[in-house]
This record gives sequence, C-alpha cells and structure tokens, in this order.
Amino acid sequence: MTERGFSDVAVQSAHAFRAIMQAMARPGRVLELGADIEAPEPLLASTAAIALTLCDFQTPIWLAPELRNDKVTHYLRFHAGAPIMAEPDKAQFLFAEAGPTLPAPDVLMQGTHEYPDRSATLIIQVEGFMPGAVALSGPGIRGSEPFGVTGLSASFWAAMANNHADFPVGIDVIFAAPGRVAALPRSTEIRMLEPA
Amino acid sequence: MNAPAYNFAYLNEQTKRMIRRAILKAIAVPGYQVPFASREMPMPYGWGTGGVQVTAAVLTPEDTLKVIDQGADDTTNAVSIRKFFVKTAGVATTERTEEASVIQTRHRIPEARLTEDQILVFQVPIPEPLRFLEPRETETRTMHALEEYGVMHVKLYEDIAQYGEIATTYAYPAKVADRYVFDPSPIPKFDNPKLDDCPALQLFGAGREKRIYAVPPYTKVKSLDFEDHPFEVQSWDEPCALCGSRDSFLDEIVMDDQGTRMFVCSDTDFCAGKRGDR
Repeated sequence: MTERGFSDVAVQSAHAFRAIMQAMARPGRVLELGADIEAPEPLLASTAAIALTLCDFQTPIWLAPELRNDKVTHYLRFHAGAPIMAEPDKAQFLFAEAGPTLPAPDVLMQGTHEYPDRSATLIIQVEGFMPGAVALSGPGIRGSEPFGVTGLSASFWAAMANNHADFPVGIDVIFAAPGRVAALPRSTEIRMLEPA
Repeated sequence: MNAPAYNFAYLNEQTKRMIRRAILKAIAVPGYQVPFASREMPMPYGWGTGGVQVTAAVLTPEDTLKVIDQGADDTTNAVSIRKFFVKTAGVATTERTEEASVIQTRHRIPEARLTEDQILVFQVPIPEPLRFLEPRETETRTMHALEEYGVMHVKLYEDIAQYGEIATTYAYPAKVADRYVFDPSPIPKFDNPKLDDCPALQLFGAGREKRIYAVPPYTKVKSLDFEDHPFEVQSWDEPCALCGSRDSFLDEIVMDDQGTRMFVCSDTDFCAGKRGDR
C-alpha cells in the first residue's frame, strides 16, 4: 500500500515551504521542518515533505540509486505526478544521499545567463549538521555563518565553490535531515575551514 | 458552519507549488526576475495581483498579516487585500508593523526597522528597470545576462545634464548583491536605503508582467549614482504636522483652495505610534 502524503496538504505544505524558503533565504541556517507525512523507506519525512511541497507533473525528478525503489517511485508518481528521469541532467529536482552516488553539480541543469532560474535543485538527504567544515557568506548571511553537513567531503564543498563561481548560473542545494532543513543557494560564497 | 468555499489562501495547490518554485529561484539569484505563470485573480491587474499571489504562496495559518498602500493601512487597496486574506486564509491581521509576520505593501517600506521574523511582499507594476529605455524583452534579457547597464547610467547622467541632479524620485534603480540592477517597485527613493542589509526577506510580485524577484536578508542593495552626484533621499523643511517626526517620509496634503498645505507621515501606523494614538 502506498504511504499517504500530507494529512492536510494546504496547511502542511505551507509550513514546509516557509521552512524551505527561510532556509534558502538564510544559507547555512538549520531550521525545523516537521510535517505530518508518511514517507516510504528510505525517504525521510522531511525529504518527502520537500518533494510534495515543490514537485508535481511539471517537474522532472531524478532519484539516486539508493533512494530509488518501487515504493518511492510509486509514492512520488502517485502524490506528485512527477515524471521520474533516468538521466540526472534532465531533472529539475534531484534527490540523493550524502555519499559516492551524489551527482556532480556541474552535470546538472545550470540554467542559462538569460534564464538562470531554469536550473536544477539538488535535495541531499543527510544525517545531520555539524558546523565547522566551511564558512558561508553572501546574500542572506550577516557576516559569515559556520556550516557543515555529516557525510559530505571536501570535494563536495569544492564543487559547490565552483558552482558559486559560475553565478548567476548554477544549481541550488537543499539539505534534508530528520526533522530539519538547511540550504545552500548558488549565491553563497564558500570558504573551507578544514584541510582536505 | 459550511465547508470552506476556498482552498487555504485562495490559490490551488498546483499554482502555489509553481509560485513557490519561482520564489526559491528568485532568492537563489537575488534581483533576477523569475518568470512565473501568473494567474487571474479576483481583482484587476494593477491592484496588486502579483503581491497577492506571492503572499498567498508564503502565508501559513499562524501568520499575522499587515497590508499597506502608500504607507496607509486604511486605503481601499489595503483594506480589500486584507479582507481577501481574512476571508480566504482566515489569518489574523494587524495595522502594527511590529506585530506583523507578513507585510504586503504597495509603494512604501514601513518606517519601523523590520526584523528577521518578518517577510515583506511588494506589489510591482513594471518589474523591468530597463523597460522604459529598451522596450524589447529579448534585449533587456540579454542586457541583464551581460550585466550591461550602461544605458541606465546614461539615463541618470541625462537627468543631471538637464536638471542638475538625478530627477528620479521613485522606483529608483539599485543593484542587488553587486550583480543585477532591479526596480524596487515605485517606492520613494527615500525608502531605498531600507532595502540594504535588511533583516527581513523581501519578495516582489508583478502579476500582469508575470515576474517574481527577491532580495534575501542582509543583502547589499546599492542605489545607482555617480561619485560626484551621490545618491540622496528626499528631505523636508518641516516635521510631520501630526506627530512631529523629522525622519519619516511625508505626504503633502492640500487643505483648501487657498493654497494651505500640510505635511504628514505617509506611514499611518508609525505616525499613530509617535502620537501614542493606537
């Protein structure tokens, strides 16, 4: 049986979106994202809430191999009606876990200089946050913000620094942890704090 | 009680998702105008349909909404939009700036400094700052892509050549985060400094023109100017006739047909607060 989505779509997606939007507006700040939602293994409730808040028939989705199973694809097709793509560069929203299968930012839809909004959003499911890996600065951040994500290596931060260097084109990242959300838009400057 | 006649905040969920996706991209690329599939709203274009759609997409049932039109809470546009959301979203409303979590505004930024817990939604008639200089969308889009804003500086220079000063007094162009020149909506240039380094998230919705853009919190917003003609805001010789404020934006009110005039705060809540009358 397919897990049900939000218990009250209008209200819970509004709450989820407020958290996602504030996270995107304040890069590196970890915010609460609680939703009454059922999610198929191995999706977190927060990941499912982000998917059902943002995705629908207009948004091609890509799932990393570890998140892709019949239950998850059925869940996303049933609740969101989103087409599920085989190639990451065709997807508007990508879902992955921190780890080796994480797609490189530069192979995803970057948008164009005329339409930088036509770019991918990468949702990374993570265990949690541990500030210390990087310092973030730029729009949305007063001064600089220490940030770090469990399970993400220096190569990820280097790739995201390159992503920022291409501004205004590039991808945006949302991190989904149990009950929490954070984001890293392309506008954010990244400074490494730990040697690789 | 009957079943609710509207979905929460009027718009259907698919429309909200589409607007929400546009808002996220707008935040990620500060000052860039994201096209969106603007819907017909139960009010005419020019009455804030863009702002209303953005507000509907960000509103939660716990929000307290304030709506102002040229700084006033009690004008037709403000009252009707406030009532619209009371009816369709059931949210609490307020006229006090500091009590509001979402503020929709037409052409002013409140005098009180906004906080991190607030969201300011602007109603925008013409989102493209270059439109009056270059009518073709294909051209203005290329100009933004190339960061080619010389024509705007020429326009400001021609003001100086003709009038001795930059004559633009509202919808004054500014650069967001050192990249995109944007139109802050027809707010008086008096309000431009409040856009800069603002703790609140600022969202802009243009319904007829189908564009959404954003200025994230704590983002640099620099009004365009020249070294020898620096950006300046309006000032008045006299204080507000009602509250005595010398640092707020004043409206000129014609009192009779003998030429009597009165200058009063445009921000009605700020003025009432100063007078201890609210």
